[in-house]
Amino acid sequence: MSRVLSSARGLFGKQDVLLVFLCVLLAGVFLALAATNLSGGISGLLSIDGLFLTAVALTMALVFISIPAMYLRERGMLNNPFTLGEGVPAARTAEAADLHFEGTTKLFLSVLGALLFLTLIEVLLAYFKVSLLVMLTLLIGLSLIKAALIIAYFMHLRFERLSLVLTLIPILCICICLLFVFFPDSRRSHDLRAVQVKDAVEEAR
Amino acid sequence: MSSEAHAHAGQVITADWGGGTLPYRVGHKKLGMWLFIVSDAMTFSAMLIVYSYVRASSDEWPTPYEFYPSIIFSTVMTLCLLTSSYTMVKAVQASAHNNLRSARRWLFGTILGGGAFLVLHIIEWINVIDHGLRPFSLPAEWAQRWPNAPPLFGASFFAITGLHMFHVLTGAIYLGWIMLRIKHTRHEDVEISGLYWHFVDLVWMFVFPLIYLMSFDPTAGGH
Repeated sequence: MSRVLSSARGLFGKQDVLLVFLCVLLAGVFLALAATNLSGGISGLLSIDGLFLTAVALTMALVFISIPAMYLRERGMLNNPFTLGEGVPAARTAEAADLHFEGTTKLFLSVLGALLFLTLIEVLLAYFKVSLLVMLTLLIGLSLIKAALIIAYFMHLRFERLSLVLTLIPILCICICLLFVFFPDSRRSHDLRAVQVKDAVEEAR
Repeated sequence: MSSEAHAHAGQVITADWGGGTLPYRVGHKKLGMWLFIVSDAMTFSAMLIVYSYVRASSDEWPTPYEFYPSIIFSTVMTLCLLTSSYTMVKAVQASAHNNLRSARRWLFGTILGGGAFLVLHIIEWINVIDHGLRPFSLPAEWAQRWPNAPPLFGASFFAITGLHMFHVLTGAIYLGWIMLRIKHTRHEDVEISGLYWHFVDLVWMFVFPLIYLMSFDPTAGGH
């Protein structure tokens, strides 16, 4: 640990090291909080409170870890996973042959293979008698992976500028999550109806 | 952060957002298509979430799909769309290399994939309609098997798959237009049509498991 710190001192100023250290510490605390929340078992996690606490803890951890990450990126120690596109693919010209087009046929074929494989798993999953919740979670999880593959490679977003990705994706995720605000009501109206039926049966007696 | 880094960040911001350049390094048409895709994604997610809401608040939900014909049809439809997405990538690749003849051929393949999807889906619709499914009523046989199920199965099924089918149809027409006019298009136009096509494929990746696979198990019942 001390060796890591002393080598880090060569790169950062004293107060920078302190800030980074504090941020990593706080991120760790929030990750630990999320982990303790996970230890309550799957049913505790899937309740509204459990999901909220986990999401908030993970978001806070992300906020704190982003500062050290930015420091690292500024010093070139963390590579940007999204390559910067150079210029717009322009009109077809004589030299259009060397128009940039990232990704090879092999890459796209393997993406297609992965998509077909995941679809096969989804269909097979329907045959196993798993509980509805587990099945739904697995199906949505696999579909999200498929969607990410399509967006990243087929829709080429992996090769676009990071600023475009940050403009499009987070807002979409946040809006879709906001749509789920109403969801707990579905269970409530279901339970209310069950209570009404029970009352009606007792009245009939 | 040192003042040097501040100055550098300032330079980047003026260079990118000061005007006269394309800050996202994509043309305005492509950015417009991306924004349309984001808004359309919200439409579809709203519909799928409403469907899940209705299903979760019901006592029972019909799970009528047997392996043949529904599941096998929808699986083959998924394969059609995925394959057509791949041929679309090949079309964009060919167009990037200015190989218009080959791009046109790949585009034709993509339209064929979309057409196969549409034909299979219409056969599937005719199947369930013949069975007696209507937007606001269940077939008598299903109503007997799932007595507590609300009659909204048909509404959710026809609305969601119908809207998706409409997207496939417009996508196929759009691609046909690009294919016929490929000599007069820029490379970016082909790329934009590809974005739309991949999005249609992406939506099906959620519609297929939620509408079809979640209604598969013929013996379990429940919701």
